[in-house]
Amino acid sequence: MSEDRPATGPRQRIERLGAAALDGLAATGQLAGMLGATWRGVVRGRRPPGEVANQMFVVGNKSLLFVAVTLGFIGMVMVYQSCLQLERITGDLSRIGPEFLKLLVQDFGPTITALMLATRVGAGIAAEIGSMVVTEQVDALRMSGVTPIDYLIAPRFIACVVMGAVLTVFGVAIAYLAGGLTAWSSFDLNPRLFFDPSRVGFLDLCLGLTKTLCYGMAIPVISGACGLRARGGSEGVGAATTAAVIGSSLAVIALDLVISGVGLLLVGHGR
Amino acid sequence: MSAGAAPPRTIRFDDVWKSFGDKAVLCGMSLEIRPGEVMCIIGTSGVGKSVAIKLLIGLLRADRGEIRWGDLRLDSMSEPEMIPVRKRIGMVFQNATLFDSLSLAENVALPLRVHKGMRMREALAEARTRLDQVGMAEFAGRRPAELSDGMRKRAAIARTLTLDPEVVLFDEPTTGLDPVSARRIDRLIAKLSDDVGVTSIVVSHDLTTIFTIADRIAFLYQGRVHVCGTPAELRSSVDPVVQQFITGQSSGEMETPGF
Amino acid sequence: MTGARRAALRSPIETLGATAMQVAREAGGITLLAGRVLRCLVPPSMDGRELTRNMYRMGNRSVPIVALTAFFVGGIMVIQAGMYVRQFNATGLVGWGAGYAIFREIGPVLIALMFSGRVGSNNTAELGTMTVTEGTMTVTEQLDGLRALAIDPIRYLIVPRVVAMMVMLFILTVVGDLVSIAGGMLFSRLLIGIDPSTFYYSLVDNLDWIDFVHGLVKSAVFGLSIALTSCYFGVSVRGGAVGVGRAVNAAVVAAAVSIMLLDFFLTFLLP
Repeated sequence: MSEDRPATGPRQRIERLGAAALDGLAATGQLAGMLGATWRGVVRGRRPPGEVANQMFVVGNKSLLFVAVTLGFIGMVMVYQSCLQLERITGDLSRIGPEFLKLLVQDFGPTITALMLATRVGAGIAAEIGSMVVTEQVDALRMSGVTPIDYLIAPRFIACVVMGAVLTVFGVAIAYLAGGLTAWSSFDLNPRLFFDPSRVGFLDLCLGLTKTLCYGMAIPVISGACGLRARGGSEGVGAATTAAVIGSSLAVIALDLVISGVGLLLVGHGR
Repeated sequence: MSAGAAPPRTIRFDDVWKSFGDKAVLCGMSLEIRPGEVMCIIGTSGVGKSVAIKLLIGLLRADRGEIRWGDLRLDSMSEPEMIPVRKRIGMVFQNATLFDSLSLAENVALPLRVHKGMRMREALAEARTRLDQVGMAEFAGRRPAELSDGMRKRAAIARTLTLDPEVVLFDEPTTGLDPVSARRIDRLIAKLSDDVGVTSIVVSHDLTTIFTIADRIAFLYQGRVHVCGTPAELRSSVDPVVQQFITGQSSGEMETPGF
Repeated sequence: MTGARRAALRSPIETLGATAMQVAREAGGITLLAGRVLRCLVPPSMDGRELTRNMYRMGNRSVPIVALTAFFVGGIMVIQAGMYVRQFNATGLVGWGAGYAIFREIGPVLIALMFSGRVGSNNTAELGTMTVTEGTMTVTEQLDGLRALAIDPIRYLIVPRVVAMMVMLFILTVVGDLVSIAGGMLFSRLLIGIDPSTFYYSLVDNLDWIDFVHGLVKSAVFGLSIALTSCYFGVSVRGGAVGVGRAVNAAVVAAAVSIMLLDFFLTFLLP
């Protein structure tokens, strides 16, 4: 091996940062292309009969308990912390319930559910597709004239968007219920005051829906892309799964920032 | 070197059975390995050869039967009891199993640091000497991933020898290697037995290796030792199964699992 | 995939029972592992070089992802607060509100989730690849290799990783919290026009050291949980590349659930 250039030093670090940024942009471009290809696959592609239903079952069924548990606990914790602080400042807890629901619908419900799905479903997709790649099953598919995107990713895409929405609604409901229970048991807050949807507006519903749909599209595309790029046996599958979890999670958070930001600007201009 | 060397001990497999699920891999294997000899265990793939030596050092547990080393009952020892045994019986795995994150020298130094309490610098120096004995001294600073299979095997042998074991188990040492590297490994194993008096058990289906280095050969077939004897005895055996294996015919009396 | 269908035909009670048994089994295995790890920590005896090597690697890998996530999260918190600021003109509360949420909840939980996705899954994949004994291109058996050298894999391999993960997550949470606050300051200036000094004083005047420590204690506990689950699933891998993928999936999910659960209990138990 030739002698290594010194890997430290400011110039090398900047070079690496620049390279990483370019990689990131390239990756985003590739993903956008993949998203387009997936859309075409959804609309026009061939896929195994019943695969969509199968995938919806896989996504929904396996994640139900998981989402219930995590969203439930999160709901309890959030309400508890908020009540604690609010009591210190104003002592008036009457608006906690409606505001909490607004926050759930517009941000935390979709985002936390999506983060959970990124680990549960995203890892699963990358692991499955990754194993198929390293055992050369995907090559076999290609040779029989089928595009992996149409065959493997499109059904999971549909499943994730649909079931993701279902699970988000479910998650919001669970978190809200759990929160109400906590407020009632720890702070004696009247459930009737808590369970009040009056603060949820049209914009909130739109934001929540947009986020849910975007997350539902991002997770399978990113995880599928990571799976398809797996190389090299067990190590490759492990690396693909890791990349899928991180990539999907980061995408969810970035999308949250962007969509919430847009929402804020709209609110500012609307009023 | 081992101070006050213990009297040489015979290894005995006595009616050993091992199954994985409903797949019986060893069905009453009985074999005796004499101290100082090179015993080659041969047989077709998937027949339990590797399983047999893993049973010896407790990486797998036998379902039935006894495994003895001198007076010690190895099959019923607990994991902590196996630790001193593993320092006396070393194993070289089929895939060398060097640790990817360490250089060759660091790999060989590891048992020295852990068991002989050497400091890093001492251990590395000793490691380089050991690597030199297998002809790998110039690669001491490299990582396993950068080297060929044959080189990794030699380094793995050096690592196993750091604890000066009485017995060394080799799991398919030459499988998958080019002929030159394979013959190098053969010479190493023979040297160990001739110069140091190590008992070697070599699992292989490489006939060249076997007939070059073996003192005795055990032919494992259908979970049992079908035939055991010197290379000459096996070559002149009239048993059709043995003949088929030795001449490498693909059809004949022998049942091969799978195909 | 028909296996999944067949599973659906089992009654929900059966599925719930089966899941419960599996969770119990895993929890038991993890507890046993915890016991063995603890025995090697008291008195502390592990391979120092492995410890430093792991800490360096894990830190190196996760700093960018944690920093990015923390920065975005700071922005999201501020955007959420922004809607109320406009309504109530409560510019003095944004620093405090964001700081409270970040230090006590969002910081530790989200950074732990990201850490689990990046380092935890990587660790599981690595240990899994070392444990795999059949079925794929690279069979390494490194774990058996250690045992054959009469070296305890727990002491040499596992304990350094557990300690490294706990320490790194702790450090990363501190760093992440600060980056979040910085992000919050930046976004509140850009999007809502709040002066960084207002933000800063609002935070410092209303929050206490105990709020910061509350989050750090959580992150230490999360670190232990992530480390134990990721190591457990890594060494229990069965079955080649597919097994490794599944193990990573299971590890990340288990870590997420345990983070939420522990967060819940710690929120109530800690001051």
